[in-house]
Amino acid sequence: MRMLKRLPMPKEKLALETALIRELAALLDETGLTEIEIGQNGQRLRVARQTSVTRVVAADGTPAPAAGRTTPSTAVATVADLAAHPGVVNSPMVGTAYWAPEPGAKPFVEVGSQVKVGDTLLIVEAMKTMNQIPAPRAGTVTRILVEDGQPVEYGEPLMIIE
Amino acid sequence: MFDKILIANRGEIALRVLRACKELGIATVAVHSTADADAMHVRLADESVCIGPPAARESYLNIPSLLAACEITGADAVHPGYGFLAENARFAEILTEHNVHFIGPKPEHIRLMGDKIEAKRTARALGIPVVPGSEGGIGSDQEAIALARNIGFPVLIKAAAGGGGRGMKVAHTQADLLTALATARTEAKAAFGDDTVYLEKYLATPRHIEIQVLGDGNGRAIHLGERDCSLQRRHQKVLEEGPCPALNAAERDAIGNQVARAVRDLRYLGVGTVEFLYEEGGFYFIEMNTRIQVEHPVTEMITDIDLVLEQIRVAAGADLTLEQSDVKFHGHAIECRINAENPATFRPSPGQILHYHPPGGLGVRVDSAAYQGYTIPPYYDSLVGKLIVHGKTRTECLMRLRRALDEFVVDGIETTLPLFRALVRDQDVVDGDYHIHWLEQFLERGGFHE
Repeated sequence: MRMLKRLPMPKEKLALETALIRELAALLDETGLTEIEIGQNGQRLRVARQTSVTRVVAADGTPAPAAGRTTPSTAVATVADLAAHPGVVNSPMVGTAYWAPEPGAKPFVEVGSQVKVGDTLLIVEAMKTMNQIPAPRAGTVTRILVEDGQPVEYGEPLMIIE
Repeated sequence: MFDKILIANRGEIALRVLRACKELGIATVAVHSTADADAMHVRLADESVCIGPPAARESYLNIPSLLAACEITGADAVHPGYGFLAENARFAEILTEHNVHFIGPKPEHIRLMGDKIEAKRTARALGIPVVPGSEGGIGSDQEAIALARNIGFPVLIKAAAGGGGRGMKVAHTQADLLTALATARTEAKAAFGDDTVYLEKYLATPRHIEIQVLGDGNGRAIHLGERDCSLQRRHQKVLEEGPCPALNAAERDAIGNQVARAVRDLRYLGVGTVEFLYEEGGFYFIEMNTRIQVEHPVTEMITDIDLVLEQIRVAAGADLTLEQSDVKFHGHAIECRINAENPATFRPSPGQILHYHPPGGLGVRVDSAAYQGYTIPPYYDSLVGKLIVHGKTRTECLMRLRRALDEFVVDGIETTLPLFRALVRDQDVVDGDYHIHWLEQFLERGGFHE
C-alpha cells in the first residue's frame, strides 16, 4: 500500500533507493543503531537491522548469509521477501490492524507466542467492525509485521508463523 | 470542495477521473485488485490501496472494502467512474451513511432510472417522447398479443431489469411473439432474477442518439448536445460521433431543450445521458444512464467543457454556473473504442503490450491507461483505450481519424484497430449513412476481413 507519498516509476525508484539504502545501512553499522527512518519530499524510508534466524533470500534467488548474524535489511526488501515467506499470514481485508482487543489490553500474540490453528492473531477493523484474524496454522509467531493501529490493505503481510 | 477523492474504478476511466482531480487540486486515492498492482492509475495516484483479489465482486464491487479504504485514507468522496458500482443506488446510500460523498446522482434517481419500466413512465411524465408499448410489465400472453396487434409488428420484448441485450427478443409475427415471450422471461429470470418483461414497438433501422445532460440538483440543468452511437455490435457501442450527421440545428435544439427541461424538473444532480432511438424524424426514449459515459470525450471535444470536472463540482454542492447559452458546438468529433480483441472474431486477447505508440498531433486525444510493457489482465473488460479525434468539419475529422488510426501502434496483443481502419474508409460511414444494425450487417457480409 502506498499512502500519502508518491511512487516513482520503478527504474527511477530502484536507482534512488538502492543508493540511499546503502548509505543508511553503512550508517547503521557505523553507529550501532538498530533503526533509522528518514523522510524527504513526502517519502519515508526506514532501514532497520534485526537479529533474525529466518533465511533471507536475495532478489536474485541466492540465499544471503543469515542465521544468527545481524543483517541490515530494509523495509522495501523485507516486505518483498516476506510476502513469499511460507509462514506469512496476509490480511484478508482492508482496514486498521490492532494487536489487542481494546486499547491498553494485552496483545493477542507477541513474538515467541505459540499459536494453534484458529487462535486470534490480531484484529482488522473495517467499517466499525472488529474482524478477528485467526491463525491459519499452528506454530510460533516469529515476526509481527504491522504496528498497532496501522492501516493495512488486502493481501498485506501481517505476521510470520513458523 | 472535496479534499480527497477515492476513485472506485480502474483502467482509462480511473485515469480520466484522476486527471480532473489533479486539475482541481484534489488529492487522489487509487484502489486496485491484486491483478492491477501495476496499473497506471495506481502509479499516478497520490495514495493507493489494494482492496482484494482479481475477481471484481471481491474487489471493485466489494462495498465493505471500498468503505474501509475510505476510512484508512480519509477520503471524503468517491468517484465511481462507469460500470462496477456507478449505478448502484445502495452504494451511494451506504457512502452517505458513512459521511462520504458519492460523486453521482441522488440515490432515488439512480434507482428510478435503473428500473426500465419506471424510467419510461417517468420520461413520459416529464414530456420526453417514448416508444409506444406496454405501460409496465406484460401480464398474460393474451395481453401481449392484443398490444402487439395494436402497435403493429414487429415488436420487441425486453427484460425490465435488463441491460446488455440479455432478455431481449424481436417478434415479427404472432407465432414468434409467444416464443419470444417465453425465451425472454427465462433469460431475464436467469440473468437478473426477475422475469418481468415488457413489450414495445420495434424500430427497423433506427439510429442511437443520446443527449448529454448536466444538472446541479437545485433545478438548474443544461444539455450538451448529442452523440450518435449507432455503430454497435451486440448492443455494445463501437464508434461514437458528435454532432449526429442526421440531425440539423433545429432538431438538435428541440430535443436538447426538451431533455434539459425534463432533467431540470427532476432536479437531477450530476452528469447523465438520455438515450433515444431515432427513426424518420422521431425520437423514442430508451433509457437514462446516471453516470459519466465511456463516450463522454466526444462531447468534451465539441464543447470544450470538462464533464468530469463539472460533475465533481456539482457533487460538492456548487451551483451550476454554465448557462445553456454558454454551450457552443464547434466542429466534429469521433471516438473509437480500441479493444484487446481479434478484429474479426472479437475473441478477447489479454496479454502484454510489447510496443505502444499512441497517435498525436492537433485534434487527437487518446484516453488510455495502457503503456509499453503493460499486461492487460484477463479479468476485466477489454478496452485498451479510446481514440478521440476532432476536426473543424466532419470531413476533416474523418481524414484526421484515418491518419491517427494508421499511427496507432499496439503490438503484442490483438486489437480492433484494423476494424476501425476499414470502417473509416467505408462509404456508408463516410456518408454518415448508418443505423444500429449497420455494423453487424457489415460484419456478416464480410465487410471486414484481416
